[in-house]
Amino acid sequence: MIKALIKRRLWLYKNRLVPSIFIFFLLPIFSFSMICLPLKNILRFSLSGTSYDIWAFSGLIFIIGSICLYPILYREYFELRVHRKVLINIALTPHSKKKIIFDSLITAIIESLLMIVISYSIFFIFIPISLTFTNTLFLLTCLIIYLFLLGNLYISLSLLIDALSIMLLMITMVFLYIIFGNGFLIEFPFFPSSIENILNLIPIALPFQVYQKFNEAGIIDWKTIFTLVLIITLWIFLNSYLLKHKLQQ
Amino acid sequence: MEASITLKKVGKLIGNKTILAGLSFGVERGSLVAIVGVNDSGKSILLKLLSGYENPNYGQVFIHGLDMEKRRNETRKLIGYVPFENDLDPWLTIEQNIRFNANLYSVDETICTERLKKYSSDLNMEPYLKEYALKVSGGIQKRAMLIRGLIHEPEILILDEPTGYMDAESIRLTWDLIKKIKGKKSIIYVSNSLREIEQAHDRILVFHEGRILMDGHLDKLLKSTMDYHQFQIEFEQLENDLYKKLKNIPTVVSPNRMDNIFHFYGRTRTVFFDVIKTASDEMMIDLNVKKLGLRDLLDSEFAGKGLD
Repeated sequence: MIKALIKRRLWLYKNRLVPSIFIFFLLPIFSFSMICLPLKNILRFSLSGTSYDIWAFSGLIFIIGSICLYPILYREYFELRVHRKVLINIALTPHSKKKIIFDSLITAIIESLLMIVISYSIFFIFIPISLTFTNTLFLLTCLIIYLFLLGNLYISLSLLIDALSIMLLMITMVFLYIIFGNGFLIEFPFFPSSIENILNLIPIALPFQVYQKFNEAGIIDWKTIFTLVLIITLWIFLNSYLLKHKLQQ
Repeated sequence: MEASITLKKVGKLIGNKTILAGLSFGVERGSLVAIVGVNDSGKSILLKLLSGYENPNYGQVFIHGLDMEKRRNETRKLIGYVPFENDLDPWLTIEQNIRFNANLYSVDETICTERLKKYSSDLNMEPYLKEYALKVSGGIQKRAMLIRGLIHEPEILILDEPTGYMDAESIRLTWDLIKKIKGKKSIIYVSNSLREIEQAHDRILVFHEGRILMDGHLDKLLKSTMDYHQFQIEFEQLENDLYKKLKNIPTVVSPNRMDNIFHFYGRTRTVFFDVIKTASDEMMIDLNVKKLGLRDLLDSEFAGKGLD
């Protein structure tokens, strides 16, 4: 099934080749200019004393991944579902709902990672970063865990909400949280301690914290990683139940 | 004959409303079954249950002897479903939409190409394969959905209004294809076109309020009404007294009037002469006699009460 989903994404890119290529290059440049450049002039250094643009590089990568993941899953589980297209047809094929959710997550994550690789290469031009192979590998691992969590959140929202206006408001709030409340660009100690305590516990914020811990202290937080994998598994089950319930199957 | 689909006391509720009430029937392998009934009688819901699109609230559906609820993945491979509404991916071409479905069913690329070629040729779809689904007419989308439903060569084909949105040529091509594959596949369809149903069926299920009211070949269904004829006499002036007199002729069945037209049924043509005799003094300006068909059978008066 995953092969079918990947092929379909490729066809969709092929059918809209010029705008797709344009977006692929515009998004990282736009994100860097609109987010990183102005913040760099406000927050010159991170709390650990690293130059802000270098510190924010990995956060920016996470943000790019979050932005890329959204339209793929929104299209599949909200737009096409609400307009009664394709999704029902996919659900009638001999694949379980769990498989449908898991495979579409994998497809969306692969596409996001491709976008991230392009962004990564573009950021190298603007930011003087030097990541080791191990750091890059761990960044990628944490990113994949994060994208699984966020992808599940997008799917849940897309399945639970039926009205476009509510969906837009919800997703605006999610993006505000991702950009400002996930620790990608603004460190948690900048928030009031009560809010910081809550933000620290949100599962979506944890993969980045795990990465930062490894990056700064060289510690791999296995306990958190396993907990996150468990949350992802349970969330896939929950989403497959939601899908089944929504399609009345 | 071996059963392709078996329903055992299948029921479907939407809210508190019973849409299907304890349906039990079987469909023989290779047969062409038409489902007919008034709007909201539960026809489309039945197709949705058979395709796995929705689950029944109670009862069991068996596909080739396999319980649809318990052996979901196996039974789904056996079914091809073409819904009434267009559900193609608007941003993919017709060919990509069909190939996507073939990939979902793990159909080999070469086999898919062969089938695509064969069915596209049957339905005259070659010129539209590279067009985006959102840019072609409803009839072409419907033909594309039929090919999509057939691309994994299902044993059972379920069609909701197979010729919906189609022009005369497309309707002909579609029925030619359906008749060609009939026998190799069990085909169940819902249609509001009674002419199409009369011409293409092995069996007709007449639905009313979630129940099967009549079941069988058209000839069998019409058997009880075979002797009946439908008469219509238009008078220059149909007075109430005359209408009462005509209505009370013992051989006249289900009489009614519309302005100056007297409409009735009779078991033999001689009823007509009884009426003529009674109304001999009146000026008659037109008359019409015909044998009963499916439309008459579905007339609520017939479906509800019957002629006898």
